[in-house]
Amino acid sequence: MIAGWLNQGNIIMVEQMPIFGGYTGGLEETAICDVATTLASFTLLNGSFHLDGPIHIRWGITTARETLQVAGHAAAAIDAHSDLLLANQYYPIAGPCTEMCLLETAAQAMVDTASGRELLSGSAAAKGVATDSTTGMEARIMGEAAIATAGLKVDDVNQLVDTLVKTYETGYAKAPTGKTFQECYDVKMVYPTKEYMEIYDRAVAKMKNIGIPLA
Amino acid sequence: MAVTRPLSVFETYQRSIKGSKLDEKEWDYKVIPQNATSMKEKYRLHFGKEFIPTDNSTKERLFLAGLEMLVMTGIYNADTHRVVKVTEEEVRECLKKAPRSLIMGSGKDAADFSARKGNSKKKPVIQGGPTGAPVSEEMFIPLIQSFAQEAMVDTIVSGVMQTIDGMTVQTNTPWEIKATQAEIRAIREACRRAGRPGMGI
Repeated sequence: MIAGWLNQGNIIMVEQMPIFGGYTGGLEETAICDVATTLASFTLLNGSFHLDGPIHIRWGITTARETLQVAGHAAAAIDAHSDLLLANQYYPIAGPCTEMCLLETAAQAMVDTASGRELLSGSAAAKGVATDSTTGMEARIMGEAAIATAGLKVDDVNQLVDTLVKTYETGYAKAPTGKTFQECYDVKMVYPTKEYMEIYDRAVAKMKNIGIPLA
Repeated sequence: MAVTRPLSVFETYQRSIKGSKLDEKEWDYKVIPQNATSMKEKYRLHFGKEFIPTDNSTKERLFLAGLEMLVMTGIYNADTHRVVKVTEEEVRECLKKAPRSLIMGSGKDAADFSARKGNSKKKPVIQGGPTGAPVSEEMFIPLIQSFAQEAMVDTIVSGVMQTIDGMTVQTNTPWEIKATQAEIRAIREACRRAGRPGMGI
């Protein structure tokens, strides 16, 4: 199929999601394989850009501490030695209309931005498995967190993300599935409910208290 | 678009049918873990608690470890059960010739997708959407519109439309084609409703 798309002049995105805790092993081994497969996507498949997504074998999410470390290290290493176009995708454990989902999404956006990635793609809230469980509000926090992070010192970002991840990482086992799009948006007007706006504002306030310079 | 790469997808295919044969379990349970561990040891990699490395040495050693992992191990083609090999020269040449900048979308809605360096002040492209998560046929347009109308969002990534004309979409059937075309039409309509008809999808 790539041969046909290339002949049509299309942009080729090559996607690959290394599994932390799978047969690649631990943090460093998974990051090594992540770098290797990213390079392979440009070399063997003529990729225009690469879509990553290190995922946690136990929780099935990209927002866990370990998967953020894999993504952050792999991107920073490739970014420092090439001009390749790097992207990452989002699979938080919590669903829409929950503070946890917004905090998870923001944490990953901060790591992706500060490690030099060019594109953030998401978000598949509630692990991307529940029907109609994604909304534009999750992309809003992804963008707000990216803008707040761009240009900060990486040392500072590491500390801020560490604090942010601590706010949600003990809650995976009882993570809220949240609400469906129909439940947290006025579907006719395509506008988030008052409840979701209030939850969003609380999440932003929490992040500002941590020191994240959101607008 | 990028200039021609040293390794075409046709050459990759040829290597996929001529490479050395290997059992998939051998690849998964032996080759990958053993080689990854040996690279970790050779390049003395230990991340500690950092999310993003702050020293250039770690970045360089991880890059070299990944490069050597690819050259030493190759890539496994699960269809042909063969290992596709590539040289370091081929990898480095391809990296030079990969695109550094792309335009996604058109007109006023076009997004500049170009290389950032480190934690540049330049904002990354925000691609909003369900990222492959399932979306009901009934909610598809307004749900995608909820992403397209966000000021932060530059381009759209689709979800999976669960049914088409009420029929369940199964892989390797004509319904797959119909659903894909319906998805694209629905995303375009969602972008139009958000006043951003030229958004990249």
